[in-house]
Amino acid sequence: MKWRPLILSNVQSSIGKAKLRIPSNLVVFRRRPVNLNWVQVETKRRFVCRAIGDSSTPDEDIQNTQNDDNVVAVVTTTESNIPSDSENSVSRFRSMITTLPPVVFVMRKCSGNSVWIGICIAATVLVAAIRAYAVRKSRDNQPAGSVADLVRRGQLRSGDRRGISKSLNYEDPFNNPFVKLDQGNSTVEMCGKVYRLAPVTLTEKEQTIHQKRRSRAYQWKRPTIFLKEGDSIPPDVDPDTVRWIPANHPFATTVSDIDQDLAQTNVYQKQGVPFRIRAEHEAMQKKLEALQNEEKLNNLSIDSQNARDFQRPYKFATNPDGENIQKNPQDNLTGNPSSEETQKT
Amino acid sequence: MASLRLFSTNHQSLLLPSSLSHNPLTSSSPRFVKNPSRRSPIRSVLQFNRKPELAGETPRIVVITSGKGGVGKTTTTANVGLSLARYGFSVVAIDADLGLRNLDLLLGLENRVNYTCVEVINGDCRLDQALVRDKRWSNFELLCISKPRSKLPMGFGGKALEWLVDALKTRPEGSPDFIIIDCPAGIDAGFITAITPANEAILVTTPDITALRDADRVTGLLECDGIRDIKMIVNRVRTDMIKGEDMMSVLDVQEMLGLSLLGAIPEDSEVIRSTNRGFPLVLNKPPTLAGLAFEQAAWRLVEQDSMKAVMVEEEPKKRGFFSFFGG
Repeated sequence: MKWRPLILSNVQSSIGKAKLRIPSNLVVFRRRPVNLNWVQVETKRRFVCRAIGDSSTPDEDIQNTQNDDNVVAVVTTTESNIPSDSENSVSRFRSMITTLPPVVFVMRKCSGNSVWIGICIAATVLVAAIRAYAVRKSRDNQPAGSVADLVRRGQLRSGDRRGISKSLNYEDPFNNPFVKLDQGNSTVEMCGKVYRLAPVTLTEKEQTIHQKRRSRAYQWKRPTIFLKEGDSIPPDVDPDTVRWIPANHPFATTVSDIDQDLAQTNVYQKQGVPFRIRAEHEAMQKKLEALQNEEKLNNLSIDSQNARDFQRPYKFATNPDGENIQKNPQDNLTGNPSSEETQKT
Repeated sequence: MASLRLFSTNHQSLLLPSSLSHNPLTSSSPRFVKNPSRRSPIRSVLQFNRKPELAGETPRIVVITSGKGGVGKTTTTANVGLSLARYGFSVVAIDADLGLRNLDLLLGLENRVNYTCVEVINGDCRLDQALVRDKRWSNFELLCISKPRSKLPMGFGGKALEWLVDALKTRPEGSPDFIIIDCPAGIDAGFITAITPANEAILVTTPDITALRDADRVTGLLECDGIRDIKMIVNRVRTDMIKGEDMMSVLDVQEMLGLSLLGAIPEDSEVIRSTNRGFPLVLNKPPTLAGLAFEQAAWRLVEQDSMKAVMVEEEPKKRGFFSFFGG
């Protein structure tokens, strides 16, 4: 009889017994049934595994073997096939992992999906990395101040430009939700940028030094009079207080036709009609009155010489009584029948 | 914002000035009294949980100047003026630029300017008829010196502006709290006219060498003229360029000029949009960084305070691994 070595990796699982550890010095005496073929199980471990061909229990088997004449003492000690120590440790480690029930359970359960899980995790990491790179790239490429940049920073809403946005309820200038303060690091976050506060270092002494420097550098007297280039300086005026205005300057292109006192009065006027309007109104009133008076005079006295030129020959008109009436042309002019000569024919 | 108050309390050594005469935590709602006799200057940390209390003698006549053109004087005038109006103060903004009038464009009031100071001086209208009241904030009024094509009988120099300011003080509805004068560029007759009635000045500059040199010159002229209360606003600050050392920092600018800092306005493309629309930056919802900075500058102007710290851009915080999933 030849022993057929059969290497099984999952002996314990195939047997279906939990935490079955068989010491290496176990000797199993078993009656060898005639109908069974003994199969020697050979593993990598130094323990004896029993390949059970029938369903009898170990105790029963032992008891049976003691009474049976055909007992064959089978002492099998398996020896490891790995000669080196490193391979021993690897095999030991591997067998230790494989004997852990949860791992064994999961591996049995998900033996076919482990690859897919790994693929999903790798894809997620890759997508996140690509997204971060794209965001950083777009941030660098976008010019500061562009419309897209303003929209990204939240300063401009894209809906505003299309007229479809709703108005924001923001009436209080002291409460701005877009300004965030970091209380720990003295930084301020506004509109997508982070700022740090740097204290002002100017002292009063430095300010005084600057003032003295400027007073030495810029000697200046306030000009009190503006003269056009070419004009002569009045005798009682300090030449340093004269400001010369170029000929094309707005100050020099016009001659002021208004008195200084009058100008001041105009500025201080609080009510009533302004000066020029009143003056124009008065002037217009006078003109109208003058025109009216002139017409009256014209109406009252007419030059006889001129009147003769306008005279028309006398016309004889018949009255209802059949008498001829000579009409004076002057009546026609005045419209009043001042004189009427009737000529009886 | 309660969180900002907590931050200020934790960094007292950096932010609090030496004399703190006002406890912001126990302050009641501010009462704005017109024409007080004299107020003591209030020194306090910028607080967003209360409205600013007016310091100094009213009306406070502030001229906004720079020397160099294009640095943001008119933008500063418009935004600071409207911020003051939002705080509840009555403001009159005067555009003292004789030849080039721009303040009405930034405020969106260009169609409503019918009369200017020239018409008032000539007697064509009264002063109250030349004031344009903003419909968004009724306590904000605009007064333009002249129309672009009108002739200017302004040979009186700064006297005309002095009369105007004096007339505003004595008007029937009461003296305004603030009179803000937008000064023209340069240091010629227009500049001299604009600074005549002012008793404090805001110098607007940008962190470049040309603007700094002009600003230094203008500061010297202002000090010679007797204006001692001069504060600085650094405009168009690019924190990314400062981080890359391509631009001077706000602290460098302050070190060169030696002036107290009223505000640091970051570069913001929204400024151009608001200018073109005639809608000042401070009225944007939600507010932009530049708008917030203008509001803070107006807050400090009211309380006669100055900046004690400036913001320096840093690298954003590194996020953890799991933030990739959350975005």
